[in-house]
Amino acid sequence: MPMAIENDAQQLIDAYLKSLRTKLRGLNRDDINEIVEELRSHIQDKAASSGELTVAGVTAALAALGTPEALAREYATDALLARAEFSRSPLRVLDSLFRWASLSAAGFLVLVSTVAGYFLGGSFMWCAVLKLVHPHTAGLWLIPLSDGGFAVSLRMGFGSPPIDGRELLGWWILPLGLIGGCALVVLTTRFALWSARQYRRSHLLPQA
Amino acid sequence: MKEGDRDGEVADKWEVQLRKGCLELAILAALWGGKLYGLEILRRLESDSDLIVSEGTVYPLLSRLKTLGLVRSEWVESDSGHPRKYYALTAAGKHRAVEMAATWARFSSSMGKLLAPLGKGR
Repeated sequence: MPMAIENDAQQLIDAYLKSLRTKLRGLNRDDINEIVEELRSHIQDKAASSGELTVAGVTAALAALGTPEALAREYATDALLARAEFSRSPLRVLDSLFRWASLSAAGFLVLVSTVAGYFLGGSFMWCAVLKLVHPHTAGLWLIPLSDGGFAVSLRMGFGSPPIDGRELLGWWILPLGLIGGCALVVLTTRFALWSARQYRRSHLLPQA
Repeated sequence: MKEGDRDGEVADKWEVQLRKGCLELAILAALWGGKLYGLEILRRLESDSDLIVSEGTVYPLLSRLKTLGLVRSEWVESDSGHPRKYYALTAAGKHRAVEMAATWARFSSSMGKLLAPLGKGR
């Protein structure tokens, strides 16, 4: 019965695309729909080149595309990292890294380091600005610890100055905090983009 | 450290890198004559070149070229009963293709000079 065969073939296509759709999570919905519809069209063309849509034709077409996992990985990482490289805004970079992190351990490590870098950079700039509001308490402080050691603390100046603490930079925190903080944010962005490029180079080779 | 320092694997990896590196230019070149859909691009690459292309690589790459603004795409209804996604070069894509082709020609001619003695040795 040709009708039944066509249904079986259709079911194979649907199952493959459904699996691909799940594995593409992280991309935006419109992109996923585009990808799935384009591949559906491709599989139908390829499988029906001899005329009818057959199970054998569909199986061969799906095998040529590779597993949904491998295909999704190429799409997801490629699209996300391309977008990250495209934009140098920390927010866009972080957004892409969050999605990359959900796909691989390497992405997670880069995300954690990047968040730490942005946080530290942001703190220095914020401290520099707050020095104007809290001239006596904001800044980089050296604070004695109970065990005889010292801790270096970046304080925003809310509350009273730390007991026995010594401020290290004074008004220098203003230019140094701003310049250093900015530099840290720029360097962190560069690090994230560099990691993304390295990862793409080493992982997104065609299955030869 | 990367594993697989055996000669065969190193050579394979090199060839894979080489193919992957050429694929972007190959796709842009395939689109030079006008808009094509994915399967047509694949067939063009297979018939006009000896590039063995994995389908699972070409579609994600097309999507990346689109993100980069080198190609644009449109859905066109067809007689087959389902629409097809056609790709065409943008102005930036044409510019990039010409640039890449020039680099390719320079590279290929200098490698040719360097490699000429190897051919004679056979």
